[in-house]
Amino acid sequence: MPDRPTALELLEAVRGFLDTEVAKGTSDPRLRFRALVAANALSIAARELALDETSSSAEARTLRELLGEAPSGAPPADEARALSSELCRRIRAGTAPRETVAAVRRIVEGKLAAASPRYLSGKR
Amino acid sequence: MEAWALEVRAPRGPLSLVLRRASGGRIYRDALSLEQEHALIAEAHRSGVKVPRPYGFLPDLLGHDAFLMERLHGETVGRRIVRLPELATARTLLPVQMAEELARIHALDPARLGFLPGSGGGSSAQRATDGLVAQVDSVGEPHPAIELGIAWLRNHLRDTGPAVVVHGDFRIGNLMVGPDGLAGVLDWEFARIGDALEDLAWPSVKAWRFGMDHLRLGGIAADERALVDRYSDLTGRKVDPADFHAYELLGNVRWAVGSLQQAQRHLRGEEKSVELAILGRLACEIEHEILTLLETR
Repeated sequence: MPDRPTALELLEAVRGFLDTEVAKGTSDPRLRFRALVAANALSIAARELALDETSSSAEARTLRELLGEAPSGAPPADEARALSSELCRRIRAGTAPRETVAAVRRIVEGKLAAASPRYLSGKR
Repeated sequence: MEAWALEVRAPRGPLSLVLRRASGGRIYRDALSLEQEHALIAEAHRSGVKVPRPYGFLPDLLGHDAFLMERLHGETVGRRIVRLPELATARTLLPVQMAEELARIHALDPARLGFLPGSGGGSSAQRATDGLVAQVDSVGEPHPAIELGIAWLRNHLRDTGPAVVVHGDFRIGNLMVGPDGLAGVLDWEFARIGDALEDLAWPSVKAWRFGMDHLRLGGIAADERALVDRYSDLTGRKVDPADFHAYELLGNVRWAVGSLQQAQRHLRGEEKSVELAILGRLACEIEHEILTLLETR
């Protein structure tokens, strides 16, 4: 088991440095903007660490149900990627199931939970 | 790409110029060269489009090509244009002014601009959807929301009239805006031959509202009506709302794919940048908008 700070705590420490010391401490508007973008990137990474296994599992389950597939036994992220590729093939072939749009919406909302939770809360 | 502000002492008085110079980084495959962009701006200027006056192409400026143009004054940063109190009047003028510039741009003679992509003829709508498929394949990741958008476009996107010269990136953020509204149309490197609605609907793409989402036209107006009405008056070209919707969806799908490609530039080491990298993770916002547009068709 790694010592503390944990990976999440390290990300939070660097995010805070970028946000408070770099962005707020500089008079260069380009550097300030890039520092805020970088801080946001670390926020995404931190949320993803907290969510990852569950969100990939949820995506794989949604895709399995949509496509009528049995669990492959692969790690959730790999399984989700393979099923997502299969769904893309079927959409292109015009043979995607009728419930596809609703299922894809659930998956995209799952991605937003890590990447941009404010986007979702603004919508609701 | 580099941009330098120059103050020149000329015999007839001082000149404020911008020097744009290639910096050796990889240029987008489908973008115009600086020489072509300069030729296009010169033709647009001759035809009365509000553009910076061009002052010449320099094929070899210390090893890179470059061109000089007039330096316009005003605001180009989208987030400021949609928010600054001192631009409130400008925002009310912009929709009609944008229509007037688009009418002029779309009247440019394609025969004088044979270097523009798409000059070979054929369906612009078909070319748009085929291009998206090629771009998605080049990214190499599965994105079902984008595939759903492309599949819908294959069935619904149509040529709405004769192909014209389109600017290709006509939106808030690429327009110089002053207190009296539109001062100049910038950033011509994505110009091509295409459908007029590609330009008309592009400023309504969600990303170009800069957070002012209730103002569907570029974060400056509640909807596209003033833009479209003025454009139709000037060109005699009627715009079917269903076509507008289809081209708004096209714009969002293009920007979703464009975001993934930008992230790829970082991931492949072509241009390392945290700004490019994060676009790969923000593409899901655009995917969400694509699904919303698919459900409200």
